[in-house]
Amino acid sequence: MTRGITRREFIRIGVVGAAAAVLTGCLPPRAWVVLEPYVRPPEEQLAGVATWYASTCRQCPAGCGIVVRIMNGRALKIEGNPEHPLNRGKLCARGQAGVQLLYHPDRLSGPAQQTQRGTRQFKSLSWNDALNLLYSKLQAAGSATAVWGDSTMSGHLADIFARYTKAISAPAPIFFDLYTLFNGYSVLSKTNQQLFGSSALPIYDLAHADVVFSFGADFLSAALSQTRYGVEYGAFRSQPLGKRGFLVQLEPRMTITGAKADRWHAIKPGAEGLIAQAIASIIADQKLGSVERQTRAQTVAARVDVNSVAAASGLSVDDLTNLARIFAAADHPIAIPGAALNGQNNVAQAASAVQALNIIAGNIAQPGGMGMSASAPAGLIKPTPSSFADAQALVEQMRAGRIQALLVHGANPAFDLPDKIGFADAVKNVPFVVSFAPIVDETARYADLILPDRTYLESWGYDVVAPSFGQPIVSGQQPVVTPVFDARATADVMLTVARGIPAAARALPYADEVAFLKETVAALGSGAAGGAGADVLWARFQQHGGWWQSTIPAATPLQSKITAPITVSSTQFQGDEKEYPYFLHLFLSDLLSDGRGAKLPWLQGSPDPMTTIAWQTWVEMHPETAQKLGITSAQVEVGFQRGTLISDVVQVTSPFGAIEAPVYAHPGIRPDTIAIPIGQGHTDDGRYARDRGANALRLVGAQADATGSSLLWAGVRVKIARTGRQISLATFEFTPGVTRGFINAAFPGQ
Amino acid sequence: MAKTPHREWAMIIDLDKCTGCGACVVACHAENNVPIQTEQEIARGRGIHWIHIERYWEGAFPRVKANFLPLLCQQCERAPCEPVCPVYASVRSDRENLNLQVYNRCVGTRYCQNNDPYKVRFFNWFEPVFDEPLNQQLNPDVTVRSAGVMEKCTFCVQRIRRAEERALAENRALRDGEVIPACVQTCPPSALVFGDLADPNSAVAKLAGDRRKFKLLEHLGTEPAIVYLKGGESNVRA
Repeated sequence: MTRGITRREFIRIGVVGAAAAVLTGCLPPRAWVVLEPYVRPPEEQLAGVATWYASTCRQCPAGCGIVVRIMNGRALKIEGNPEHPLNRGKLCARGQAGVQLLYHPDRLSGPAQQTQRGTRQFKSLSWNDALNLLYSKLQAAGSATAVWGDSTMSGHLADIFARYTKAISAPAPIFFDLYTLFNGYSVLSKTNQQLFGSSALPIYDLAHADVVFSFGADFLSAALSQTRYGVEYGAFRSQPLGKRGFLVQLEPRMTITGAKADRWHAIKPGAEGLIAQAIASIIADQKLGSVERQTRAQTVAARVDVNSVAAASGLSVDDLTNLARIFAAADHPIAIPGAALNGQNNVAQAASAVQALNIIAGNIAQPGGMGMSASAPAGLIKPTPSSFADAQALVEQMRAGRIQALLVHGANPAFDLPDKIGFADAVKNVPFVVSFAPIVDETARYADLILPDRTYLESWGYDVVAPSFGQPIVSGQQPVVTPVFDARATADVMLTVARGIPAAARALPYADEVAFLKETVAALGSGAAGGAGADVLWARFQQHGGWWQSTIPAATPLQSKITAPITVSSTQFQGDEKEYPYFLHLFLSDLLSDGRGAKLPWLQGSPDPMTTIAWQTWVEMHPETAQKLGITSAQVEVGFQRGTLISDVVQVTSPFGAIEAPVYAHPGIRPDTIAIPIGQGHTDDGRYARDRGANALRLVGAQADATGSSLLWAGVRVKIARTGRQISLATFEFTPGVTRGFINAAFPGQ
Repeated sequence: MAKTPHREWAMIIDLDKCTGCGACVVACHAENNVPIQTEQEIARGRGIHWIHIERYWEGAFPRVKANFLPLLCQQCERAPCEPVCPVYASVRSDRENLNLQVYNRCVGTRYCQNNDPYKVRFFNWFEPVFDEPLNQQLNPDVTVRSAGVMEKCTFCVQRIRRAEERALAENRALRDGEVIPACVQTCPPSALVFGDLADPNSAVAKLAGDRRKFKLLEHLGTEPAIVYLKGGESNVRA
């Protein structure tokens, strides 16, 4: 029986005398309660039994295994595949939202021809006519055909595109999107190639590490493998015998990873590499840690003047020394390079300087250290993210009129590239553009023909997991429902078209994509799921959601190839310091990632973890900065429970462009820095994404770093101006929360 | 209905492990047919998320800290939202330690929302909208709440039922870890743990004795079934 005030007592208090006696006579209420809410369907309806199908998530390039709950032929819920060695049954917010891509109301049904580009005037075509059109154009284009894919493309489709372009002597497909650009896939590969002679992506064994130095790496958010690093983080915090890892985060603006850090340092933008260099230098000079670590530090660390690093980074000399002591004394320290490094002019040096700390720690290919992602099994393809220079070169080819037919799959270059690169102009010189987008996105607006591909829950495929932790993993992808719209698998489209082009027909002699996939999977042999024979292996591949071995192979030893000390030049910023007084810090939205989440209402409508804002773009600045600029961000009471945050809309201007967005006063950002999330500002891509917020890439120029791996998106300065307009921020913060106490403190009298 | 033993469903939330990533938020939307609100409605303070992440700032720059706290219905043993409901829509199941919301009884007085100290009850001001064919995704185990009805976290009661029925059909007791709400299932760092406190060998019963434990607004005497474990301690000397 419940203790305290019961319903009976409450009514007794509220109702007087005899009336109360009558009412209490009706009790006890619990006698009538059926112990469940009204969740069961009427008696004559039987929902049936749910079945679960294993497949692969495609919301980012990580390749997590999923299982999808199917009832009456409908996909209801996605969960992590508990058997899958990468994500172990867990899944992030973006992965959970995948069903909304499948059932998105703005998906195209059937091929569409756009008679005049950019008009959105589509003419419906039959698949036969569309395929004939594609065939005639591709045959005419010959080797002047280019394929622009993205990093989430299924391995088999990447393989088919690669074989196709090779057969017709066209340039190899490029795989370029904002997600891999921001997270520096190309930079990390090149750095590892130089330091260790392996171009695989790095992995960090947080579960067995005791100290982690994150140089702005937001690994708990939209980074290299969010779900796996989430799992690792859980283990990092609860190690055997009550041990708990210690996380140090160095970044100009607090990310969710920074919020979890035991020590958070708000360093100056662009100082990450210098700090890593200083830590190495202090370990060498002050002989910190074991003799082995000192010796290695003396080899790889270029001596720097700690005082000048302190001035350039915003850390004190004591802070730097203290960090060096913590790192050198730890049993299993790890250093992780973050995203912001990848947009700086000294990116190659900075990433190397951070990785050099791992070499000093002696943790390479050790438990609780840095390792290398396992390489793909023979014959399987993982689309390798292209460098920025590759994307830029293709745009130049297009501009020069050397591309006759452009095939765009998965990628959205019209959104993903800054305006200054001029994709929109260059594409005008391409006579025939095909998009395979299931929903009309910014790039599809420039297309002559749209051949909607099936979304990943309706598609076949595989994904070689990268970064994969310790073992090669191939995630299997299968259709979990029958196609919802009249879409056709791009792999089948390409196989069909290839039949008419003799060179391609010889390279791709497959009846359909399933025949192609079966052959690939049979070559893998028997994995953890066992079985023998092509058919059994194929069935197990689908049933268990992929292929992997039951035992984890021993890590391949890696030798550092560093012979000379690594020096980091100081970061250059674009824009005059006087005219543009603030550093611009861009970051991928936790939920919308690089913008591909913006079309899904669950991700749009869920609060951002740090600001609790939904549906909008905002400009983060320190309350002191806001006060200095006379910017208002005040709480207005509108009801009993919650309040509304009214905020000034500001114009943020860089040397390259300007955007407008409301201000969010963020206590965890440097006063000299302005931060804006990437993800919104779509001009197309379905009803939930379109005409919403601003695309902060407008503020970025077209310059690449010296190695060509990356775009200089981080070293930009901006200025702020008030527009005079105000809007309500769609926040989920409660009235008594930070906004009120905090903003009122910053703006006395409001 | 077959007789089932007394249960005390409870959740442990380890704040040291919660990364604030929001996977639980979206998982709950998917499982429980929770409608997404528009930008204007959220700005008016009418967003609906049965579980969401509260973020609290602590200290001042540069020694500032942000703490995440996943907040959902606390399934109180002495729930303040219950005695104020005039139509018994908000009722308690003592047998299971659950606070039930009977949607077809609710007449929308919103008394429960006013009296709820945790602010985890949500009112449907309008008919929920699921643009076709997004409605194909709706979970048939869970009612879509109409306008004028209060809703809140149920500890995924449909999953509890499913597991109980399966155990009953197989003529065995429910195993620890067999019932997993959607938020607990997806949580990458396993910050959320769910189970039966009445079973002394369950994972929750073991964690509930942790020295870091606390309950939200404990002084109100609501006796929540959700136990938080304080975060941010380290053994590494720095």
